[in-house]
Amino acid sequence: MSTTPDVSSIQAGAADGRSRPGQAGRPGRSGRPGRPARPARPAQSGKGGPAALASLPWIGPALLLIFGVVLFPAVVMFFNSTRDISISGIDQGSVGLDNYVEVFSFPYFWPIFGRTIVWVVVVVAATVVISLGLAQLLNKAFPGRRIVRLAVIIPWAASVVMTTMVVFYGLEPYFGIINTFLVDIGLVDTPEGYGWTRNPTTAFAWSIVVAIFVSLPFTTYTILAGLQTVPGEVLEAAKMDGAGPARTYFGVVLPQLRGALSVAVLINIINVFNSLPILKVMTGSIPGYDADTIMTMIFKYIQNQHKVDVASALSVVAFVIVIVIVAVYVRVVKPMKEV
Amino acid sequence: MRKTHRIGAAVAIAASATLALASCGFGGGSGDGDDANGGTTLDLLVPSYSDATQGLWEDVIAGFEDENDGITVNLEVQSWDNLESVVATKIQGGEAPDIYNGGPFAGFAADGLLYDAEEIISPAVFSDFQESFIANEQVDGTTYALPLIASARALFVNNALLEQAGVAAPPTTWDELLDAAVKVSALGGGIAGYGMPLGSEEAQAEAAVWLWGGGGTFGDESAITVDDPANLPGAEQIKKMIDAGATQADPGSTDRSPLMDIFVQGKIGMQVGLPPTVGQIEENNPELDYSIVPIPTQDGSPMTVGVADQLMAFQNDGDKQEAITKFFDYFFDPEVYVPWVQAEGFLPTTISGAEALQDEEALQPFLEVLPDAQFYPSTNPQWSATDAAFKALFGQLQTKPAQEVLAEIQAQADAG
Repeated sequence: MSTTPDVSSIQAGAADGRSRPGQAGRPGRSGRPGRPARPARPAQSGKGGPAALASLPWIGPALLLIFGVVLFPAVVMFFNSTRDISISGIDQGSVGLDNYVEVFSFPYFWPIFGRTIVWVVVVVAATVVISLGLAQLLNKAFPGRRIVRLAVIIPWAASVVMTTMVVFYGLEPYFGIINTFLVDIGLVDTPEGYGWTRNPTTAFAWSIVVAIFVSLPFTTYTILAGLQTVPGEVLEAAKMDGAGPARTYFGVVLPQLRGALSVAVLINIINVFNSLPILKVMTGSIPGYDADTIMTMIFKYIQNQHKVDVASALSVVAFVIVIVIVAVYVRVVKPMKEV
Repeated sequence: MRKTHRIGAAVAIAASATLALASCGFGGGSGDGDDANGGTTLDLLVPSYSDATQGLWEDVIAGFEDENDGITVNLEVQSWDNLESVVATKIQGGEAPDIYNGGPFAGFAADGLLYDAEEIISPAVFSDFQESFIANEQVDGTTYALPLIASARALFVNNALLEQAGVAAPPTTWDELLDAAVKVSALGGGIAGYGMPLGSEEAQAEAAVWLWGGGGTFGDESAITVDDPANLPGAEQIKKMIDAGATQADPGSTDRSPLMDIFVQGKIGMQVGLPPTVGQIEENNPELDYSIVPIPTQDGSPMTVGVADQLMAFQNDGDKQEAITKFFDYFFDPEVYVPWVQAEGFLPTTISGAEALQDEEALQPFLEVLPDAQFYPSTNPQWSATDAAFKALFGQLQTKPAQEVLAEIQAQADAG
């Protein structure tokens, strides 16, 4: 039932390294020459029981929190997806997999699924490319660099809903500032402006723009942190060998960024996939399902149709999709591989 | 810095989770809802009708608490957008409000959550309600809610624009409306002839204006009939208006409130409005030269969409009946009730209230159309789902065939 209230706060949490199972150590460290000593993995059950018990006081609170905030709601979600829950939220008993049948037999499900994939791929790809450039810029010493770095953080500091609202009102016909500007320079020929947020395609496109904008700070800073681990000697050596700037970047710097990049991409995929507020604000007034992603659909099931049970089923589907995307990504990109 | 922040956040999350868990599941005990002095606490959940709503309720509560020692009222004001999900969440958590001001209630009644309204108000006060409104609050002969306010809709006409476009008199039929709206739209400069809000905010209202105006209906307390041949003329007429360019751009996804603002600014020829719209115009653009006329229909016969919002009481522990009765008796006293309704700019649902407001100039056009009011089938348990389906789908008329849209709404309503 977690509706992401603010992407950036989640990012901050994620950036702090919520280790996921199967992700030992911090990937950010893999960029160093020479393998860093792997931190001793906490003993799993069945492997040095006493050691695990001894560590319990230290990891106990965290485990408790993970159980209460992550696992317990997830279990409730799975449970709810097999129940029949009335409009006012009364549990009427089990219905097996009927809710899943409803999810998949919904005629707009596959277009929504496709749009979700487009949403994730476009937003993450554009964010990473722009962030690579920004990070490179911010890594150079120039007067006022601190101010610029601060400016890049701002979208991260503001609430996502606020940022989106600003753009949404800017795009309103009659009084939106962006619309007025476009009318004034002659790009839009209706005097009241164009209904960008009233048409599925344009509203979705603008949502992507906003999503990229709010994802930039985190990604840029992750890559910037990666850039600062690139040793000066290596760059110097590349220069000595006669590599030009482009060759140096693609042959030396980029491989060193592997760790930072893979973390940035992974966290962005999860965040963008789970992002509701931007689309909710930008496409909220559009009838039908032509600008929906899985997240907004879950929201519509809860908000419009009060079908908590079907919404839970769709949440489970979304959960599985995220896991599959991440698994494929980890298999193909192998972000844990040392350079 | 980051680290302390995280620990702080973790502690906060853990603490709030604990509190949340602690506050659930202990409802129903005598410890719930009774404060230390053995008094009673009533939780009141209301939607926001205007910026003044919260203050008005606070005044009512202050007066009520002065007269009734030992009863405290907790007020929670929510926006209409969130109201229904908030109340559903509260019910799920066993934290239903004691008194709730909202729209559709048949679902709650079907789940057996509500008091019979006659048990929570004095007979003398109960008999003061207008018959037609009480009838609208009944399921199988039992009254589950008390009508709080009524509103009817009428067409607001921008006289200056119609004059400019050479339209002699405000339209009374669909054909006249189409003709007038096309002429006003032709003035150019971003001016729209007819403001048509089919966006999610209140699509069901604009739908009712047209579908009922063509002799259609949404159904009654036993069946929802959206996909009905009688509703087609209205839906087709909407498409005709859109295709003729008689409306603003993108009517399918335009919400009502922002569009009304555009009317108030004088850029829309005609739009259907409510009693509070009068106050809105007075406040924001008193210069606007406008008149209020009945809504045009297919054949020009009078029709309006009536809405009555209601107050209902949840039987949480069954031990607050007396306090709730005191509250309703206090609130529906004309001394308290009439100023409240007046401030919100709606119409009263009580006989004494209607008498008190007889001389209100601004309300006249609405009081006149009230006898012809038709209501949503809100006592049908499926009305909530139907309402949501209209909000989510009706705007597709802009791009899809009318029959298809009606069928889709019917299907979603039936599924809910």
